[in-house]
Amino acid sequence: MTVKVRFFARFRELLGTDIIVDAPNGSVFSELVKNVARRNREGYAAIFDENGEFREFVILMRNGKRVELADAAKVIVADGDELAVFPPVAGG
Amino acid sequence: MFSERERERYKRQMILFGDKGQEQLKKAEIFIAGAGGLGCPVSLYLAVAGVGTITLVDNDVVELSNLNRQILHYDRDIGKNKTASADEKLREINPDITVKVVDTTINATNIDRLVGTADGIVDAMDNYPTRYLLNETAQKKNIPFFHGAIRGLYGQATTIIPGVTPCLACIFPNPPPREVFPVVGVTPGLIGMVQATEVIKYLLHDGKLLAGRLFVWDGREARAEEICIERNPACPVCGTTETISRKQRRP
Repeated sequence: MTVKVRFFARFRELLGTDIIVDAPNGSVFSELVKNVARRNREGYAAIFDENGEFREFVILMRNGKRVELADAAKVIVADGDELAVFPPVAGG
Repeated sequence: MFSERERERYKRQMILFGDKGQEQLKKAEIFIAGAGGLGCPVSLYLAVAGVGTITLVDNDVVELSNLNRQILHYDRDIGKNKTASADEKLREINPDITVKVVDTTINATNIDRLVGTADGIVDAMDNYPTRYLLNETAQKKNIPFFHGAIRGLYGQATTIIPGVTPCLACIFPNPPPREVFPVVGVTPGLIGMVQATEVIKYLLHDGKLLAGRLFVWDGREARAEEICIERNPACPVCGTTETISRKQRRP
């Protein structure tokens, strides 16, 4: 199946955006993002902590709907899904 | 009622808003938290649009490194309080409005008094702890909260209507790590304009607000997108509040 992963802001600078991923059926949200993020060490470290968990400020969306960080390891993605991963920006 | 001066000053926008709309701007009071990258363009444009009372709060002093983006502060203002510098420029650019400035740090003990009975709160802060305080106050007082934030060439904005839209804590329950953020003036300029446009629309009861929508700007790619955002029923700030009887409050 094919899934689109979209990064925003700083994550986009490090990892690119609109990444089309060929993923096996039954893939879960967190693993799929992790596999994509591994392409850049700094990008991975910006999103995941040393235990491989999403950093607590990261915002996840699946097809425009919020996915709670705690659920990301349980949410199974489907063909055609669009996953968004972004950091809030803080400056003013 | 408007003076001849005011009629002339606002002539071109009164074609859009009419007397009634301009009057709605004139009788409004907008509280702007921060006189930095976002606060400067927001206050400048709300001032020239004729928002009757602008209250601007900041605790900082103008530094040379602010001047690439904080457009109300000039080279000659280095070392001055940002509020004094902003006050002078806003009064000069529109003497027909009231400008109030407060040189202080917004904190949990003074925020209620500072915000008072404003018709809207503009988030022009550079940190989440103060944003969360503003968000809580907006919720408590049932005042719309116009959020904006930037980093580098990226920015975000949304309009928070208590009881109607998700609050800031629903959208961003955890702040990103603190940092000296990179910034080029055009980004807060652009996000500040989104915020100021929202304030004007809200005061005029016109158009469709960025309510329940997070506007996300990527200046590097020149792409603007919006992300649908939802209330968190378990939100510690707005999740337990009784919301059914609340209505969108407009001045």
